[in-house]
Amino acid sequence: MIAVIPFPPKDLSEEVLPAKYHIPVRRVPPRLTTLAKTTIIDWNEGCLRCQRCVKEICPVDAYKKRDFDRKQFVDTIDEMCRSCYRCVQGCPRELVFKAMNPQYRQLGDDYYTPEIIGATWYQAETGKIPVSGAGYGGVFAGEGFDSMWTDMSEIVRPTRDGIHGREYISTSIDLGRKPMFLVFDESGNLMFEPPSLMELPLPVVLAEPPLGANPLRLRQMLAAAAQTLDAVALIARDAVTPDLMDAALSLVPQFPAGQMDLDDPLLSKVRALELTDHPEVISHLEAVKQRYPQLIVWIKVPGDLRAPDRVAALAAAGAGVIRLAATEQARGPNEAGEVHLKDLIRRAHLKLVEHQLRDAVTLLASGGIALAEHVAKAIICGVDGVIVDIPLLLALECRLCRNCQSGQGGTCPIELDNLTVKRGAQRMVNLMGAWNNQLLEILGAMGMREVRRLRGEVGRAMFKEDLDRDIFAPLFARPEGASRRLGE
Amino acid sequence: MATEVVIYACQQAVPTPDFLRTQWGQEHIRLQVLPEPCSSKIEAFQLLRTLATPADLVWVIGCAEDLCRYNEGSHRLGNRIAYTQRYLEEIGLESARVGRSVVIPGDAPGLAAALADIKAKAEALGPSPLKKQG
Repeated sequence: MIAVIPFPPKDLSEEVLPAKYHIPVRRVPPRLTTLAKTTIIDWNEGCLRCQRCVKEICPVDAYKKRDFDRKQFVDTIDEMCRSCYRCVQGCPRELVFKAMNPQYRQLGDDYYTPEIIGATWYQAETGKIPVSGAGYGGVFAGEGFDSMWTDMSEIVRPTRDGIHGREYISTSIDLGRKPMFLVFDESGNLMFEPPSLMELPLPVVLAEPPLGANPLRLRQMLAAAAQTLDAVALIARDAVTPDLMDAALSLVPQFPAGQMDLDDPLLSKVRALELTDHPEVISHLEAVKQRYPQLIVWIKVPGDLRAPDRVAALAAAGAGVIRLAATEQARGPNEAGEVHLKDLIRRAHLKLVEHQLRDAVTLLASGGIALAEHVAKAIICGVDGVIVDIPLLLALECRLCRNCQSGQGGTCPIELDNLTVKRGAQRMVNLMGAWNNQLLEILGAMGMREVRRLRGEVGRAMFKEDLDRDIFAPLFARPEGASRRLGE
Repeated sequence: MATEVVIYACQQAVPTPDFLRTQWGQEHIRLQVLPEPCSSKIEAFQLLRTLATPADLVWVIGCAEDLCRYNEGSHRLGNRIAYTQRYLEEIGLESARVGRSVVIPGDAPGLAAALADIKAKAEALGPSPLKKQG
């Protein structure tokens, strides 16, 4: 007898599969004219007034829509131009040509390059992955995260195709102390109360940037974005003002070293808090756990040369979440200035592995997380998640001019005072939506279904310095003292 | 009412725009420096619209005409400046509110002298009549 089983099974509820994490992106146009990498120089004098002017057949009608932005004193044609060079090649008098835009090159600094800023603006506007097209024009390798190449071996595997594949790829992480083993009684019940965990759908924590002209407005945007993303925002305790209380569950107040009041009313409203490392931090941690057992306590540790040992010591003492803090340029502070965050992470991660404590704690990293790829690469190096701050400010069209840091907050070129919380928060959500999609693409290309599995998976990446040392140096080595021409 | 000066600076003539900002030193006159790929990027209507914001003085610093990287750029800009000044006279504004300086790329003393000249003009002209009209 053949049994016929109807599909879908009628006796199952509709929610057979868990809801897929979805970030609601929505296009938010920029308020300011975007600075383009190249600019058009258009000499009108000597124009032949051709019957079929090349400017009239511009594919994007850039010349028709062209205007002059009187706030920024820039020609708006540059943000519309797609550099197809139809007008440059087509003008019979060669009156149109393109040049590099010095105002674009002035953006940012040595770490947050104009390319990073431009890509962040695009993602914040559209929520889409930036696509350069026509080949990759960047460097093949560089320093820091640029020296890592990630595995793409499963990229042809259609079912796990990133954002479009049929299989789910989970980007969730769990923050908190995890028991190394479980003990059950004869009835199968857990014999102890496991420590509380906080699940984040994205391995990214939002944080208040160290600069910005209107910090109050910025925090409101951060809180709103964190609520929309179901994420959390790290904000200094004394900056958590009453207007942010509605978003308390999405906030992680940060306390300076040694300054935490157990009677602080905020502690009963939030899910987690961060303490700054100091000699008595463990006793503070214990006091918080005693009073607020459900609270997840993070400890911020500077990512210097002592960090690996300190992280291991804190983990052994019972810490649940530890944040490794680097500088804005993804370098260790002080004497660790030559060490990149990726190496700081690897050292801390391996120290925990060595002490058999890695699975017990959650490791986060902050400082210099500038691109979506940095999230995946930091996790490959050994953290569970990252903290992002400056890109959230860039999402608001910030130029990183740093006028706000020099005390000239009134001359913020992007007029943060005039940006509504809703608009700013949506741009931050768009950016995280684009980053989430890129993370899914990277995981899909590796054939991985869970970001948790990526933690510490250095086998999923190649490190240029390792290749240079192990492969290329022996290949191209010359005997000591040999002339350059030897072997040619 | 603060005086506002806008300088469009050719990147060949002024490789480091911050030099102009640090050398300016006039707190009562607000300076904006906008680097451009060539002085010929600036068109006549852009000069007029900048003046209409209202700015009190709009200046272009470019290369000497025979040293322009794009051969004709500096010369073309010169014609545009002349046209813009004639236009301003026609409509009853001081033509001296728009102008240009040419420098030899790399000539720091020459650039400093041009900047001093711009400062003097801004002081002499004072606020634009457009500001008085509101």
